[in-house]
Amino acid sequence: MDIETVKERAGPREFGPADDMPEEYRRAATRMIQFHANSEVMGGYLDKQFTRHAPSLDRKLACTAKVQDEIGHAQLLYRAAETLGVKTREEMLDELANGEGKFLNCFHYPVDSWYEAPMIDFFVDGGAMRRQATLKTTSWTPYAHAMDKVCFEEGFHVKHGESILKELMTSSKATRERVQETFETWWPRILQFFGPTNDESHHNDFAQDVGLKTATNDELRNSFLNMYVPKAEKYGLEIPEYPRIFERDDGTMAIREDDLDWDEFWTISKNDYEGSHEQIGTRRRRQEAVEWVRQSMDDWEASGGTTPQAAD
Amino acid sequence: MIWEVFRQEEPGDYHQHVGNVHAPDREMAKQFAQIQHARRMQTNSLWVVPQEEIGEVDAEDTSFGGTTDKSYRWAMTYNDIDASFAEEVADSEEEQREAAEKRSEAQS
Repeated sequence: MDIETVKERAGPREFGPADDMPEEYRRAATRMIQFHANSEVMGGYLDKQFTRHAPSLDRKLACTAKVQDEIGHAQLLYRAAETLGVKTREEMLDELANGEGKFLNCFHYPVDSWYEAPMIDFFVDGGAMRRQATLKTTSWTPYAHAMDKVCFEEGFHVKHGESILKELMTSSKATRERVQETFETWWPRILQFFGPTNDESHHNDFAQDVGLKTATNDELRNSFLNMYVPKAEKYGLEIPEYPRIFERDDGTMAIREDDLDWDEFWTISKNDYEGSHEQIGTRRRRQEAVEWVRQSMDDWEASGGTTPQAAD
Repeated sequence: MIWEVFRQEEPGDYHQHVGNVHAPDREMAKQFAQIQHARRMQTNSLWVVPQEEIGEVDAEDTSFGGTTDKSYRWAMTYNDIDASFAEEVADSEEEQREAAEKRSEAQS
């Protein structure tokens, strides 16, 4: 299939492993799905901290369940990326460990307090779900199928995150102030979650033309604002003055994107932020620590542990 | 030999198990599958799989979903939180609720 045919046919779940896709499509899809998979892994690693800080057994159990979900999502996504035939799962995991793999800006910042839990579990996961719901209609079928299961599970994460936010914001004055402070630190990062504006986004046009992306960064960010600003206000959080948010003629909200620190964003996107090194290093050490498990599975398979039977 | 047949109605759908066919080889199995399972049904694609290639584990072998209470991992548990503000969160909760109902029906 040539690229013009791909653009003509592009639509929800239009292409799959049986189709002969051009290199350009397969590379773009791999980049996008690998980024998503890496983000699930790195997001899971941040949540690991919250399990430690969680104030009750129920919260600890829910946090553990969430980490388990996120790592599972990463596996589904690496599998979907593998179906494009550009990279193997091992290559993608190695790239993440050695700092070449890219992942979401929010997961480059270290977390160290429970007050940050709702920032990740409610706002970032809420944003992620906004985006993931639009990817159920991506043109690469294995990616869309992965989103079916991911979206099924995410509802619990967002609701649990909101439940934590509610608990903190109905607590003591000191706690509410701590949450507000944390919110002010995280709010600009959360708004950058959706990536740069459409005109700054390097890959947007192609990804939309071939049906990989079905909504632009701006559309996603603005719809996120419409839903999550009222939520923040409901619990008594004050939206910081900067970045400025404004109401458009149709009553929907948008942001003055120039107010955000895009230099920091682009540093992060190159894995060059101070937090990046720390987060990637933690991940690499974990990956190395369980190398023996992968090795023993490979050995078992090589020794004929599984015998795929000849079909005919 | 027996081949299990999976039919996909439309591009992008999951292949769903629809039955099986008897055939001596893959080519024949594909032909029989077309005749038996796709002739009068809307079909975009068929998979045929040798039955012995399918690994099975059933409710006698294991307790699916575990034996401990895992209510903390379901959206419905957080019922003081309103999910209707975001369509995708509400959808997820609804899917989870349906799955939970089916699970409890299966167990009773």
